[in-house]
Amino acid sequence: MSNNLLEVNSLKKSFGGLQAVNIDNLILRKNELTSIIGPNGAGKTTFFDLISGFQSSDNGEVIFKEKDITKSQPYQIARMGMIRTFQLTKVFDRMTVLENLLFSASSVSNDSFSRGILKLPSQKKYEKELLEKSFKLMEDLNIKHMANSYARELSGGQKKLLELARSIINDPEVLLLDEPLAGVNPKLAEDILEIIQKLAINGISIIMVEHNIEAVMKISERIVVLAEGKTIADGNAKEIRNNPEVIEAYLGKDDE
Amino acid sequence: MLDQLGNGLLLGIIIAMASVALSLLYGVTRIVNFAHGEIIALGAICTLFFSNSPDSRYLYLDRFSPLGISFPASIALSLIACGLFGAFLELFLFKPLRKKEVGNIAVLVVTIGLSIFVRYAYLLFASEKVRSFPLDLERRQTYLFFDMTPRNFNVLIAGIVVMILVGLFLTYTKIGKAMRAVRDSGDLSSVSGINSDVIILVTWISSSMLAGLAGIFQGIINDVRWNMGFIILLLIFAGTVLGGIGTSFGAMVGGFIIGILVQVSVGLSFMEGHYEAKNAVALAIMIVILLFRPQGIFGTKERIS
Amino acid sequence: MKIDSKLIFAILLTSVSIYLVFVLNPEGPQRILFNLLTFAGIYGLSAIGLNIHFGWTGLLNFGHASFMGIGAYVTILLIPHAAGREGEVTSTGLPFILALIIGIIAAALFGLLLGLPAIRLRGDYLAIVTIAAAEIFRLLARDFESITGGVYGIISFSDALQKYRLSFIDNALENFDFSPAQAWVGLLSWVFIILTLLLLKRLNSSPWGRALRAVREDEDAVRALGKNAVWLKLQSFMLGAGIAGLAGVLLAFNYGSLETNLFIPLLTFYIWAIMILGGVGSLTGPIFGSIIFWAIISETDRVAALIFENANGQQLAGVRFVLVGILIMILMIFRPSGLLGKKEELLLDVK
Repeated sequence: MSNNLLEVNSLKKSFGGLQAVNIDNLILRKNELTSIIGPNGAGKTTFFDLISGFQSSDNGEVIFKEKDITKSQPYQIARMGMIRTFQLTKVFDRMTVLENLLFSASSVSNDSFSRGILKLPSQKKYEKELLEKSFKLMEDLNIKHMANSYARELSGGQKKLLELARSIINDPEVLLLDEPLAGVNPKLAEDILEIIQKLAINGISIIMVEHNIEAVMKISERIVVLAEGKTIADGNAKEIRNNPEVIEAYLGKDDE
Repeated sequence: MLDQLGNGLLLGIIIAMASVALSLLYGVTRIVNFAHGEIIALGAICTLFFSNSPDSRYLYLDRFSPLGISFPASIALSLIACGLFGAFLELFLFKPLRKKEVGNIAVLVVTIGLSIFVRYAYLLFASEKVRSFPLDLERRQTYLFFDMTPRNFNVLIAGIVVMILVGLFLTYTKIGKAMRAVRDSGDLSSVSGINSDVIILVTWISSSMLAGLAGIFQGIINDVRWNMGFIILLLIFAGTVLGGIGTSFGAMVGGFIIGILVQVSVGLSFMEGHYEAKNAVALAIMIVILLFRPQGIFGTKERIS
Repeated sequence: MKIDSKLIFAILLTSVSIYLVFVLNPEGPQRILFNLLTFAGIYGLSAIGLNIHFGWTGLLNFGHASFMGIGAYVTILLIPHAAGREGEVTSTGLPFILALIIGIIAAALFGLLLGLPAIRLRGDYLAIVTIAAAEIFRLLARDFESITGGVYGIISFSDALQKYRLSFIDNALENFDFSPAQAWVGLLSWVFIILTLLLLKRLNSSPWGRALRAVREDEDAVRALGKNAVWLKLQSFMLGAGIAGLAGVLLAFNYGSLETNLFIPLLTFYIWAIMILGGVGSLTGPIFGSIIFWAIISETDRVAALIFENANGQQLAGVRFVLVGILIMILMIFRPSGLLGKKEELLLDVK
């Protein structure tokens, strides 16, 4: 059993003549915390979309846990163990924080129509378990006091936290985090960073797109730098920090 | 099949004009106007009311007699009326809704309510009777591959000329270019210095006049009835979808194809005895297009789902 | 059901409408009232189905009449009936209950058929596709005269249901000029409304209902969490279609005859008006919306008399629909949440 978690080969995607992603080969390994950085428009989110099934590539293949997922649907990939978050937070606005978590925790079979009509005792028991799981997570993340607030009432940072909570409640194998710190106040960003580190220690493989270079340097075991759709550097924090190509790619670009 | 070609061309020019009008409006305002059929009908009903002789037995709204104005003058007046109606709708209905930032589903439902309201107002005004313009009967003549009456042939030519003029308008005039810029960018912010409200108003007026003209042509070729716009509305949608959302040229081509298809399909063998279902053929095609190539023939791929 | 000011207002308005109908019709108010309640029941049931499409799932379905039509045709073709111009009789058939169940399933399957391709489309395109599909259904049904009786329709099928009519209805209506057959259909429609609402309430508070709400909020997030958003939407589409199918059967039995002109786009627009009036997304909204709507409609001849001296049938219909059109517009512009809908719950932007 190889240590390869995700393998990408000859992955290409262009929009109207503009090449957004053009990666010859990239292998991401298990139990690593990998960050993907790069200037704006480097193709980071497109890359995420391609490996999580939200966009289809023009060319190439994506292999996850030794299965070809190039043409798979997002929900299929998620069921295989890869959960992602989004750059623009996607919480369920008109549902409470608790409901957001209950939905995520509930299994597909529990959500079925037939179970919606019957009310077997085993379901009641399961629902109770879901509640316990959700409350425990909320406690761990310090959001228990918001359990009954509607998600739309949360601040930007709290929404990011909720989205993160939703993604981890079922102990995924792989977590794709798309800018988990964007627009979050420094204190909360620190907390979120700590949570991400803890998740990595507990064995979740994490791939993170982030603009906050400081945070990236602090926690990443591996950093992949994208520019104009291609990988221009790949290594640990120290190597990346001193890489002349990387510096040039970022020249004149502020990180947000 | 070929004997239906003449009818197909005539239906085609009407659907083409109406599709271009609808596509123009959608392109600039992003409104799917379900009341489009009623604007088409307005052209014909106004012309009917203006041009029919006061001696004719029919009364409008049970009390008014038609005005007996000359036919060409009636057409001109009707077009003005349609333009005014379009301006009225924009200024008093859709602009306030836009300023209020009402969502597009709500606007769509409003246009459906509007279409019901206006269409049945026509029923009350003109009754359910099918009427015709005061024009003499003519005999069909043969032109190349098809035959039709000389008047209808003139209508066909006039329609083509109008389409060319619309194309020139959109390509070469300042406001026409502005309309296209708004459509292509999907952005309502002021383009090239012309206020976006003005662009939208001009769009409504020109779209309504074009639609009204299509209705007048429909009245000349066939007849006038209260729901004449509604019964071809789906065909117009089909034409616009087929040709491509967001391109006037596409709407015209799509409209023509649908018109010809509908009439010609009557001649196909599997349609024996199922003439009523000819519309169904066009509608089925539209559904297929929306599913497999939603941008139509000439449209650009935009986020459809 | 939350007892709040909106509900109290809805109950008041409904009661006032019924009262007004009574007062404005000194001769035979009961007949008008029974008629009103029967139609309100049937249309209300259909609106409940549409509410699942639009209120719960945000789907712009403008072909609702076709689901009602499928339910009606499949059910009635399976029981004894007479079809077409010659009145060709089919004297054998399935028991009514079985035929009804099959009819409802057929409507749900038609929902699946329509939904499978269409559900991925953006809102306004879905509206166009559903109208087009409904029109195709109507045209085909009209055309296949040998089966459906075409424009001549199908008759002589009422017995299959009326033989179960409870005798108290005949007794109660002895002194009133209202058909016991119709009253039976009306009563059944309200019974079905109650049963359906109980079922929906249960579904709403279940994990399935929760999943559907999540889909309405953000499909992409649902997918990223491993759930099949499209299948969930399809299920709700089928559920609403099935309910509409049931309403369609009741509609046909109310008239005692079945023909394609019953299922025209106008029927769909009526249901939309009722749903919006009652409140998008509210379970019980369609009940109030339906009663008030029909109360308004039943008084249209009064309005017609203002314009026309001796309004004929067409003119009455015209005034009626002018009012419906205005009602829809005014509601959507000024009070899109209707009587019992929640403003925040409204999905008024095409996704």
